Amino acid sequence: MNLDRKPELQQRLAAEFALGTLRGRARQRFRRFMAEDAVLAAAVQDWELRLAPMAAAVAPVQPPARVWRAIQERIGGAAVRPDGIWANLAFWRNLGLAASGMAAGLLAAIVFISPQAPSPAPAPMVVRVPSNEMAATYLAVLSDPKTQKPMLVVSAGRSSNELWVKTLDPAIHVPDRSLELWALPPGQAPKSLGVVAPSEKMTALKLVAAADLAFADVPALAVSLEPAGGSPTGAPTGPVLYTGPFLKYW
Amino acid sequence: MGADPLVALLAACAQSDRAAFEQLYRQTSAKLFGVALRIVRQEDLAEEVLQDCYIRIWNRAGDYREGLAAPMTWMASIVRNRSLDWLRRANPEVIDVDGEIIERVASDGEGPLAALERLQDGAALAHCLRELEAKQRQAILLAFHDGLSHSELANHLREPLGTVKTWVRRGLAKLKACLGARPGS
Repeated sequence: MNLDRKPELQQRLAAEFALGTLRGRARQRFRRFMAEDAVLAAAVQDWELRLAPMAAAVAPVQPPARVWRAIQERIGGAAVRPDGIWANLAFWRNLGLAASGMAAGLLAAIVFISPQAPSPAPAPMVVRVPSNEMAATYLAVLSDPKTQKPMLVVSAGRSSNELWVKTLDPAIHVPDRSLELWALPPGQAPKSLGVVAPSEKMTALKLVAAADLAFADVPALAVSLEPAGGSPTGAPTGPVLYTGPFLKYW
Repeated sequence: MGADPLVALLAACAQSDRAAFEQLYRQTSAKLFGVALRIVRQEDLAEEVLQDCYIRIWNRAGDYREGLAAPMTWMASIVRNRSLDWLRRANPEVIDVDGEIIERVASDGEGPLAALERLQDGAALAHCLRELEAKQRQAILLAFHDGLSHSELANHLREPLGTVKTWVRRGLAKLKACLGARPGS
């Protein structure tokens, strides 16, 4: 498509982009054209300005307080932050990056979890997959960094809105405290995925989007120890207990 | 454009002033959340969109140009774009476009236009929207406010896709002619 020679089409697409009716791949393609073509970008901007007062006329809705807390966390400047390792975003970033770097190496370890000699051999680990799905496509084995012992398995189908957490050792639960699962996107604050149910072997956590969207940029997961019910601040407040790379299989 | 206090807040955000950013959030988040919520129609998704947009606003505050657009216009564009991207990616079946949307935009579009007219920079647009044929106006309002695609518009207005596309195209062309070639002129 050569838009240069078709100013009318250019105008029409710019208008439909700003209105929102240009969708899907066409929208993405048009956005690439815009990046390379200042005239086109200006046409879109003109249209956005023409239509924008309509957005300002939309009825306001107060967002929940957690949105602001999450934003503060992500810009690394919450007004009140707990001290210690959790206050240090770089720690989380590095954890995420390190985990993604290690991912390839650890893949073998995850697939063939071998008994740690000379300790008593743990039973071979089998991840049971719901029968109506071929297999989980996102998988993490979270282990204790000191002992390297796998403690939890986290999995999700790529188009599923549920994340399954399997507890390999029920003894990991601490009375009156909760284990909270976190996604570790590189360069960003950890995002809570929910609290691991203490009484169940399997916990299903609801995702805000299908796994493919929710985990597009999440190379690692971690579990922290939190007050009962989960972190009150939206960010981890207790020690990190288990971590592991989060991999997409197929 | 007058002295919009948001201009100064954005300028301070460009200097990494967190207090100004918090002020900006307090003053604009309800409006922008309303915009996102109407398009993505799921609270959890709208919260994600809002988060991402404020991070973007914080990182890009220095790109804001006062002469080009009011701060609210600039921020609303960011939110609309992000919301439309989410719509594209989310499973379309999850998004339940129900009769409620049509209800809200009455066929004569009085509600949203009346709100638009009260805005300082909305009167001209409201006037030009009134000049459109009712069908064109309705299609444009639904597309803009509720993020409906051509085919969703066709479904909900119970008209052939081609007809709806024509309404949108002609409606936009008339709007442009009515508003003048350059916005604000």
